[in-house]
Amino acid sequence: MSDLIYVYGIINENQTPPVFKGIDGERDAHTISLGKVDAVVCDVSQQEFGEEALQQKVEQADWLHEKAFHHHEALMKLYEYCTVIPMKFGTIYKSFENLERTIAKHCDQLIESLEVLVDKEEWNFKIYCNNEKLREGIAIHNPTVESKKEEIAGLSPGRQYLEKRKLSQLVNQELEKEKESFSTLVHDSLQAFSVSSEVKKNWNKDVTGRNEEMSWNSVYLIQKNQVESYLDHIKELQKKWEDSGWMLEATGPWPAYHFVALPKSEGTR
Amino acid sequence: MNTRTEFENKDVALIDILDAVLDKGVAIKGDLIISIAGIDLVYLDLRVLVSSVESLMHSSRDGLTSEQFDEEKEELNRVIS
Repeated sequence: MSDLIYVYGIINENQTPPVFKGIDGERDAHTISLGKVDAVVCDVSQQEFGEEALQQKVEQADWLHEKAFHHHEALMKLYEYCTVIPMKFGTIYKSFENLERTIAKHCDQLIESLEVLVDKEEWNFKIYCNNEKLREGIAIHNPTVESKKEEIAGLSPGRQYLEKRKLSQLVNQELEKEKESFSTLVHDSLQAFSVSSEVKKNWNKDVTGRNEEMSWNSVYLIQKNQVESYLDHIKELQKKWEDSGWMLEATGPWPAYHFVALPKSEGTR
Repeated sequence: MNTRTEFENKDVALIDILDAVLDKGVAIKGDLIISIAGIDLVYLDLRVLVSSVESLMHSSRDGLTSEQFDEEKEELNRVIS
C-alpha cells in the first residue's frame, strides 16, 4: 500500500523551514513545491492514517490529544520561522497529484491570505469572572439595586420580606448585564489594536476546568508592531479590574487558525 | 523586560489547542474524510456533551441555516447513540 500525505500548512515558496519529526513519530516532515506555494507535509502509512484506521484512532482520546498537540507544535515551529496557513488536523491526501490539484484550485486565495498574514499575530483573549465577588460589588454599587433597596426600606415589614427575596434576583439580572457590558467594552477597546477579530462562544466550566466562569472568548489578528501596546493595554485592565472579580487572560502568539477563510463551497468537513 | 515576554508561551490549555486544530484551521478538502464529529467526541471526553448541546441550541437561535443545523444534530446524535 502506498503512503499518504499529511498536510500541516501552506507557506510561501522557496523557504527552508526547520526539520521536525512527522506525525507518525518516525519520518521527518518536508516541504513539497506546489507552484507558487509550498505545502509542509509528512508521509504517513495507510495502516495508521488510512480512512478506517484514522476514524478508529480519533475516537481514542489519548491518541487524538497527542496527535492534535503534535499538529499544533509543528505549526508553532513553522510559524516561528515564516508565515503559515494552518490546516485543520487530519488533512490528508492519497497522492501528490490530488494535493497539487486541490491546492491549485485555491492557489490565488492562499497567496492572498499569506500576504494578509505577513507580520501579523493571532492572540486569544478570555475574560473570567468571580460571580461572588461581582455580586458583592453590585449589591453595593449598582444604582438599580440601590434604588430598589431604598424603596424596600419604606415598606411594611411583611412586604419587606417578600421584596428582599426579589432583590437577589435583581442582583443576578444586573450581574448578567454587567458581564455583557463590561466584556463588550473591553472587546471594543482591544479591537482598536487589531486588524480583525472574532468573538467565540464562552466555554462552560466543564470545558475549562476552572472555578471562575468564562464571560468572554475572542481572538484578534494584530499587526506585530501593535502587539506590545495591545498587551500593555490588557495588563493595565488586569490590574484595574482584578479586585472587582474580573480576570483577563491573553495567550499567544498562535498560528492564524481563525483568520484564513476559504469559500465554504469548496468543502469544509 | 517587555510586556510581550510576560505573556508569550504561557501555559495554554489543551482545550484551546484542540479547539484551534480540530475546529478551526483552514479546511481544504483532503482525500480522506474523517468525521472528527470529532470535536463532539473530544468534548465528550472532557465531559462536556452539555456544551455541545448548548452550542447547538445557541447557534440555532442565532439563525443557523437548517443545513448546518442538521449537520450538527447528526454529529450530536452520533455521539449520543
